[in-house]
Amino acid sequence: MRRPRGRRPWGAIAVFLGPTVVLYAAFTIYPVLVTFYNSLHTLRMDLGMLYEYVGLEHFREILASDDVFWKAARNSLVWAVVAPIVDIPLALVLALTLHARVPFARFFRTVWFTPVLMSYPVVGVIWLWVYNYDWGIANLVLRAVGLGAYAQAWLASPTTALPALILVTTWMFAGFNMVVLLAAIHAIPADYLEAATVDGAGPWHRTLRIMIPLLRPTIVNLAILDFIGKMKQFALVWVMTRGGPMWGTETVATYVVKRAFEWKTLDLGYPSAIAVIWFVIIFGLSLLLTRVLQRREALEF
Amino acid sequence: MSRRRARLLLLLPVLAYTAFSAGPYLWTALMSLRTTDEIYRSHYGLPIPAHWAKYATAWNEFGYATYFKNSTIVAVASVLIVTLIGSMAGFAFARRRYRFPLREPLFLLIFLSIMFPPQIMLLSLFQILVQYRLFNSLTGLTLVYVVTELPLTIYLLRAFFAQIPTELEEAARIDGCGDWAMFWRVMFPMALPAVATTVILNFIYFWNEFLYAVVFITQQKIRTLPLAIQFLVSDQYQDIGMLATGLMIATLPVLVLYLFLSEWFVKGMTAGAIKG
Repeated sequence: MRRPRGRRPWGAIAVFLGPTVVLYAAFTIYPVLVTFYNSLHTLRMDLGMLYEYVGLEHFREILASDDVFWKAARNSLVWAVVAPIVDIPLALVLALTLHARVPFARFFRTVWFTPVLMSYPVVGVIWLWVYNYDWGIANLVLRAVGLGAYAQAWLASPTTALPALILVTTWMFAGFNMVVLLAAIHAIPADYLEAATVDGAGPWHRTLRIMIPLLRPTIVNLAILDFIGKMKQFALVWVMTRGGPMWGTETVATYVVKRAFEWKTLDLGYPSAIAVIWFVIIFGLSLLLTRVLQRREALEF
Repeated sequence: MSRRRARLLLLLPVLAYTAFSAGPYLWTALMSLRTTDEIYRSHYGLPIPAHWAKYATAWNEFGYATYFKNSTIVAVASVLIVTLIGSMAGFAFARRRYRFPLREPLFLLIFLSIMFPPQIMLLSLFQILVQYRLFNSLTGLTLVYVVTELPLTIYLLRAFFAQIPTELEEAARIDGCGDWAMFWRVMFPMALPAVATTVILNFIYFWNEFLYAVVFITQQKIRTLPLAIQFLVSDQYQDIGMLATGLMIATLPVLVLYLFLSEWFVKGMTAGAIKG
């Protein structure tokens, strides 16, 4: 059924897409452009949003002499790289274990998925308690197994605070990743595995040589999602450590909010410049990762 | 026999991970039924006797009734609006009939914004909301929430609408369906399973959202639950028992729903991960 040329249902298009276009233009495109514009100015909140053009001065200062920014960028990157490396192999092991017909698999799957349904503030408070020096679960377990010497105030030292927070996100997301991987495992056609069994492949061989390569696209996808998610991490830090101690858990996202609303400068321009830099990095890296990793996949299949 | 033993052996790591995964929340649940005095005597005791009245106290005296109401208003309104707008847009982006120049670039732009870090609009949105007197208002927060989840909603629903065969559309048109009726009477009902997954995904996101709430809400009486909890941690740091009760109030609605609809929740929460 071809439409006659030039007679598009413009009315219907306007009704269906109009609200989206208006909202998207007003609350996404416009604010993004304003952020870019602001990053070239100082924007004093205490002086009724007084604009003063400074060119690329903010960018020069951030990249050349802002130590806190570099610490925050380093923390965010460490988090974004370490989290997928920990979360996804753990999730894979859990998924393969459940797949090996462990009794009550459904029950375990349901329980493990639960943490991802909670908000960061809730999770943050619970884990503040877990890490409590005197009575938290972490130190309780260490003392119970005779490693009491390692019991410490996990969030009070710049060396342990970031790993402690990374463990919390693992707690939240390993189950989630597990569920996605388990679904992908179930989607593998049974004949693939049967054929391998007929050819004499043992369970290890079947897992490593057949299942994991078939799961590769899912693994890549989850790794990219995890990476991007951690590059944006704000809430858990805000609730648990506020970036401390000594900038040990500061992320770029928390630094932006601090510079905007807690700094004496009361300037929205400088944090906007940080946001622009981080936007370019996240966007660039996610495009790059998607391209590189998915292209290799295309070569393999 | 040995197979069975091997399976039992697999249970060990499974149980260990379950303890890690469920332990902290169960601990919190136990504390929510005990008074802070009891907790300070022993942090790992059982709630005997169980102080169920703490839930009423938290609800009435510590403001959880208000925060719960605020969270519900924002989450429900945002879900309704984003579902309505997003499904119409997903439909128009999916079907041949509504093609127009620049439709694909427009969709690509919306799709790419799924990857935008929120900071790129956080401060300018703050500025815009202040300018339009939407700062410190649940309406403003709802508006922002709708826009942040619109791209993913459109993306997921477009994929679903694109699968519906053209014959069906043609048959409905011959039966005299206009565009509007076509969408609401034929297409939208067919898409309900996909819509349900986006509803769950979006609801959880809105219910738990924190960053925008921190920046756009400063008045106590319009705080949402995640925001309220952040303030209660510092205000009543010593009152662990009451805080634990509050955490349960903030999470129980979602977890109870999850218990009954776990398949749907899993589908909804992982929808973005599988396609994305």
